Amino acid sequence: MPLRIGIPRALLYYYYYPMWKGFFKALGAEVVVSSRTTKDILDKGVKQAVDEACLPVKLFFGHVLDLKDKVDYLFVPRMVSVEHKAYICPKFLGLPDMVRHNIADLPPVIDVTVNMSRNEKNLYRAFAEAGKVLTANPLALRKAYKAGLKEQERFERFNQLGFLPHESIEQMEEGLAARNFSPGQPQNMTIALIGHGYNIFDTYISMNLIGKLRDMGIRVVTADNLTGDIIEERSNELPKRLFWTLGKRMIGSAFHYMRLDSIDGIIHVASFGCGPDSFTGEIIERHLRRRGNLPLLNLTIDEHSGEAGIVTRLEAFVDMIQWRRAAQ
Amino acid sequence: MRGYLGVDVGSVSTNIVLMDENENVMETLYIRTQGQPITAVQRGLEYIRDRVPAGMEIGGIGTTGSGRHLSGIIVGADSVKNEITAHAVAASKLVPGVQTVLEIGGQDSKIIILRNGVVTDFAMNTVCAAGTGSFLDQQAARLGIPIEDFGEIALKSGTPVRIAGRCSVFAESDMIHKQQMGHNLPDILAGLCEALVRNYLNNVGKGKEILEPVAFQGGVAANVGIKRAFEKALGFEITVPPHFNVMGAVGAAMLAREATRKTGRTRFKGFAITQEKFRAASFECGDCPNLCEVIEISGQDRILARWNDKCGKWSNAEVSGFRRKKIENLA
Repeated sequence: MPLRIGIPRALLYYYYYPMWKGFFKALGAEVVVSSRTTKDILDKGVKQAVDEACLPVKLFFGHVLDLKDKVDYLFVPRMVSVEHKAYICPKFLGLPDMVRHNIADLPPVIDVTVNMSRNEKNLYRAFAEAGKVLTANPLALRKAYKAGLKEQERFERFNQLGFLPHESIEQMEEGLAARNFSPGQPQNMTIALIGHGYNIFDTYISMNLIGKLRDMGIRVVTADNLTGDIIEERSNELPKRLFWTLGKRMIGSAFHYMRLDSIDGIIHVASFGCGPDSFTGEIIERHLRRRGNLPLLNLTIDEHSGEAGIVTRLEAFVDMIQWRRAAQ
Repeated sequence: MRGYLGVDVGSVSTNIVLMDENENVMETLYIRTQGQPITAVQRGLEYIRDRVPAGMEIGGIGTTGSGRHLSGIIVGADSVKNEITAHAVAASKLVPGVQTVLEIGGQDSKIIILRNGVVTDFAMNTVCAAGTGSFLDQQAARLGIPIEDFGEIALKSGTPVRIAGRCSVFAESDMIHKQQMGHNLPDILAGLCEALVRNYLNNVGKGKEILEPVAFQGGVAANVGIKRAFEKALGFEITVPPHFNVMGAVGAAMLAREATRKTGRTRFKGFAITQEKFRAASFECGDCPNLCEVIEISGQDRILARWNDKCGKWSNAEVSGFRRKKIENLA
């Protein structure tokens, strides 16, 4: 029986799952993902995690709990940096330790460190380390690494076609397109949704934000639909380079979308208690004001935000866009 | 002659207005919801029914407020709109040239920015209900003064005390402290008004360009102490429009008129609904770990609507026709 490697459906899953899966699969392992977020998973996570953590980190704990008895290994990489001189949030950095010290009876945790800040080759080193539980053959590791990268490229291509990451993953696994799903179809309104992938693509904690917008006939675009170059270029408009990778994605994509005539509004989604989010929202709002009058909505989600409040704000926001259009 | 009804079911009050074809408000009603939105709507409609002039037929009915979906099902609404849009519509019609709407209700507060009669920006308070009507209610009750007299007493203040307005829990302990120190009641109440306004402008109004004319509406606008505190903070006069406490309902009636103009007929079920028995019940769906609390509204003999399930299994079942209509209204 192949070894089962568990990957929690939370946090960087929405950014790197295809690469991780491609790598482990090429080495003959079976990759098991936790179930979609439910009230039960969130409740368990909130109970188990440290108080000070933000909601997405607490949710990660819930997903670990969901997986722990179903797999031989848990993959919780220590993601320090994924690019030159920019970093992932410190809470992600301590993730393997937090998980290990807060949850009892865990299967062994594969907690390789990914730090590409100084040297991009560190990515291979991390993968080679992670693959050790499966093989010692350097050639096989190198091949699996390439397979992972290839999957990641495929994933990004789908994203750039207009799929959202959770749909690209589904597309790669089951073929969404075969079921008549076309993401890029023109709608009468397009809204750029700016927020961390692990907040906006998790239908439970985002309270199905994307589904709600689409039900209103709105096309949703996110930072994931853009290439890294665009994000880098646009975020360079700030006087000082941002050293948070995820915050930079939000700012760069917002700066890009605010220039496009095809965008009718921007919705910024922050999680309550996220330090960087509190100022990315502010920076985006200020730049938007300076440029003119593209509508912006700030939404904050936390574990007890009511769905009714979100719906009211979304409806009012869409009404406002329609009203402004009618007046033009 | 046709009349239009607007129903605003908020957390604290339920408001109903009757408007004629020319958007003149003929009757208004402001009653407390008291945790029973269905009964409040029925009682309110009963009151309005007896005041509809002879020869007037109801051409449309619209609902808004946090209980808009519930009441929309009960009355058979032509339009079900969020309260931000409803307030903006009403203010732009009733206050000529309005550029800013400040609205403070029972549980929430909002600011709406209009330019050339079009909403360009809005914000609502976040999770915290500090500085809304309920807090004032609670403090008035604690001090044993009727909420109606709150503002008048605050106006008598010479030197308002400074009260921490960031959080209602801290505001309360601050007020108790000041009262034990010996400050008089008007100064404490005026201080509370200023704290509430400061909190509002810093949170809800953060970064917004507040330009004249400003309309101040919602139940709290009845409080002259708050109005004066706003004027002091902003440096210019603000307007409390007529019908300020039922503006959401006025907007809902206007939106209903708009909606029926397209369809030509109303879905209003008639005043008979005031006598009907409605039942709201909820059950926990145990089919998946989400354990959604599904709400079920039933009339005398059948289920009218279900909602609050994440997967749509219950809301689509049985009442699908009704549900679809409701969604059309939202769009």
